[in-house]
Amino acid sequence: MTDSPIVAGTVPAAHTSADISADISADVSTCTNCGAAVGPNDGFCEECGHTLRHDAVAAAPDAAPQPLPGATQIISASSVIASASPTTAPKPPCALCGHEVLDDGFCSNCGAKALSKRDHWTEAPRADLAGVCDKGISHARNEDGMALAVGGGPEDFSDGRMVILVCDGVTTAPESDRASLAACIDGSNALLSAPVAPEGAAAAVTHWTEQIRICGVAANAAAVGVAHTLGDPPEPPSCTFVAAVAVAAPDASSTLIAVGWCGDSRAYWFGDDGDGRQLTVDHSLGTEMIASGMTAAEAEAQPTSHTITRWLGADSVNPTPEIMTMTPTSAGWLIVVSDGMWNYASSPPALALVMLRAAADLGPAATPLTIAESMAAWANEQGGHDNITVALGRINDPTLSTPSIPASTS
Amino acid sequence: MANFSVQIYQNEFLSDNATDVHAVASVACTDAGTAGHSGGGSAAEIILIDTSGSMDLPPTKITAARRAAKVALDEIVDGTQFAVVAGFNNVEVVYPNSFTLATMDANTRQQAQNAITRIRPGGTTAIGLWVNTATDMFLRSQATQRHAILLTDGRVEGEEPQVLSQAIARATGVFQCDCRGIGENWDVEQLRRISTALLGTVDIVADPHDLEADFKQMMRESMSRGVSDARLRIWTPQGSEVLFVRQVAPEVQDLSDRAERISPLIVEYPTGAWSDGSRDYHIAVRVPVAPVGNERLAARAEIVVGDTVVAKGLIRAVWSGDVDLTTRIDPAVAHYTGQANLADAIQKGLAAKAAGDDRTATVLLGQAAKLAHDTGNESTTRLLAKVVDLVDVEAGTVRLKREVQKADEMALDTRSTKTTRIRRTEPSAAPSEGGGLPAPDPAAAAPAGTDPGTPA
Repeated sequence: MTDSPIVAGTVPAAHTSADISADISADVSTCTNCGAAVGPNDGFCEECGHTLRHDAVAAAPDAAPQPLPGATQIISASSVIASASPTTAPKPPCALCGHEVLDDGFCSNCGAKALSKRDHWTEAPRADLAGVCDKGISHARNEDGMALAVGGGPEDFSDGRMVILVCDGVTTAPESDRASLAACIDGSNALLSAPVAPEGAAAAVTHWTEQIRICGVAANAAAVGVAHTLGDPPEPPSCTFVAAVAVAAPDASSTLIAVGWCGDSRAYWFGDDGDGRQLTVDHSLGTEMIASGMTAAEAEAQPTSHTITRWLGADSVNPTPEIMTMTPTSAGWLIVVSDGMWNYASSPPALALVMLRAAADLGPAATPLTIAESMAAWANEQGGHDNITVALGRINDPTLSTPSIPASTS
Repeated sequence: MANFSVQIYQNEFLSDNATDVHAVASVACTDAGTAGHSGGGSAAEIILIDTSGSMDLPPTKITAARRAAKVALDEIVDGTQFAVVAGFNNVEVVYPNSFTLATMDANTRQQAQNAITRIRPGGTTAIGLWVNTATDMFLRSQATQRHAILLTDGRVEGEEPQVLSQAIARATGVFQCDCRGIGENWDVEQLRRISTALLGTVDIVADPHDLEADFKQMMRESMSRGVSDARLRIWTPQGSEVLFVRQVAPEVQDLSDRAERISPLIVEYPTGAWSDGSRDYHIAVRVPVAPVGNERLAARAEIVVGDTVVAKGLIRAVWSGDVDLTTRIDPAVAHYTGQANLADAIQKGLAAKAAGDDRTATVLLGQAAKLAHDTGNESTTRLLAKVVDLVDVEAGTVRLKREVQKADEMALDTRSTKTTRIRRTEPSAAPSEGGGLPAPDPAAAAPAGTDPGTPA
């Protein structure tokens, strides 16, 4: 797989998970949304109601692995100043009606609250990888986290690795939006800084299985760290976890995909040869119901089917990810989604159909980013009852000329 | 330089398909300074004294009026333009000698006080003419902050009724006017019309001996209004409707009639001059429905001085499926809704009583007694107790008293709009935790005709 240039115009400068984390994690004295002065203990900006965060929950990817106390805060604070000054950065128009958004964070015409960066952002670190993380409609905040990364930077390991992290914060545990984002960032850093695999297919599988495990440890440590920052509340923030890495073999003849997960965020594979399948098996009561004889439809209708049985966080009894690997030989799509997406299209054919339609509607404009955004928009049209994360990686297709869709998934 | 702040109290959570947002905007002013000395132009005062023949019956009324006017002059800050006008079926400028304003200094103050001594009662009552005279004199002056005190002991009798209505319309926006009725033969409704339109207060001074202290307090309050004019500006989103804007503290006053549309989304309400202190406004807006989980701004509540927005509060709407959140009524909104209902019940109850409809009067005054009790409005409960026997306030059962002092009824009527305050508490920052639960604070109830927080 080659390092294709970033798709032009699709990556806003400040829209990466690290920037968003920095944006909401600094020890703020001004609101990052409207610039108004805020007190050290304010949970919300008095001016605009924007959610405020006061503690660094995750180091930016370029931070030293063992930062000195306070070091991450300095980095975060400077990022805030650089990226969130309301006077220098004109606000985008209202997403609903297109009128001006005022400094108080609301539209001047329809009063809609401007989305914060945490509510909705996209990442497209390379032409073959993109994702969208969206608040959805019903939830007051976006508790999903997402981090996408690719090899090819200063620490390039020449395996063109693609890294996808998706974590879904547990709504019933306060501040889980912080845990999910922190877990994603530290988890993606772990995979990005992992050494290259030794030679040989079997050795690569062993190596990346171990790296996913290490990634899980890092992600869990980040989620637990948020709990510590909060003074170890009785209901510590927690989240699901999916980490996927795709690494080309040295001769580029095939790609190794390794996926680890805790909980009910999912990875799917849609091969162009018609091989469509779910790579993960939810750690949830729903899965246990199916194991005990219910159909998937019956289980998903149960109110407790979404109760997860494995997660990351300070109160997790088993934060160890379950891990699988595969080596697809055909081109295809690696898809990682939170339940806000798969709730509306659970089976591989159903989800593939959503993707197929999105790509068909987009026509020549179809890219991983536009398809992911279109799929999230579709989930919002279905009600947007939960936060929605969709990450798409195109595998074994160096040309990326036309994003192709699995031929026979129905 | 005056500082304004706006604090919003509301439950921002709306259930699915709900449209009506209620909030209390508490506006506070500090460092207001002194009238005419805070960079907002000069100040002018006119003292309008009823000198009709009845003021001599008994003569304690005219004696008290002379004394009160002199004391009020003592309170007027040097440099302020002023006049003292005697009103009967005609008007006579007591001081200075023409229909212009003098400038206050030690000399003019002494001359004016000497002139007041020479006031002699005679003639009838033509309040519309008095108001028109004040309007003319103010308009001829260069002053930008204009205030009058109007004292009468009777009702309009020397002029056609529409003269007063026209005079009030002419005076609106020209000057502010505090009205006082002395004795029992004046008409609460007439004076309330004047004070409401002219952004002032109305009260009864039953005992002439109390007039001096009252005038002193009124003029001191007027002089402490260093902000000559502030407006409450309400922005509401496209497709919405302002249901009402009502001042609810220190007294109830519906501002809806004063609305001036500035743009399709913005209306402004004049609030007059400000001294240090706070006023609370109940704002109700009907907004277009948004899906559950969405947040919209229902209103921006801003205080505008000159062309500058000096303070702003945001009234929000968050649609939620959580019944625990959406069914809660904000304590401030609930409290002031009760205070407005209380004023309404008293005024309608007294009107029914005056019309001989004892049945309706008993029911309405009973409701008032219950509301006053429930909201801790002890001063209103005391006033009610002089008009009705409080049989069971918790149930709202009262009996009309057989013998009622007219003055007590008038006091209840004029003071029915005085509200108890909600104790100031910082609203909790996190909306999920709600706005705190401020409790009614009877001790903070405003004395008649003043903003709480006015320096004594």
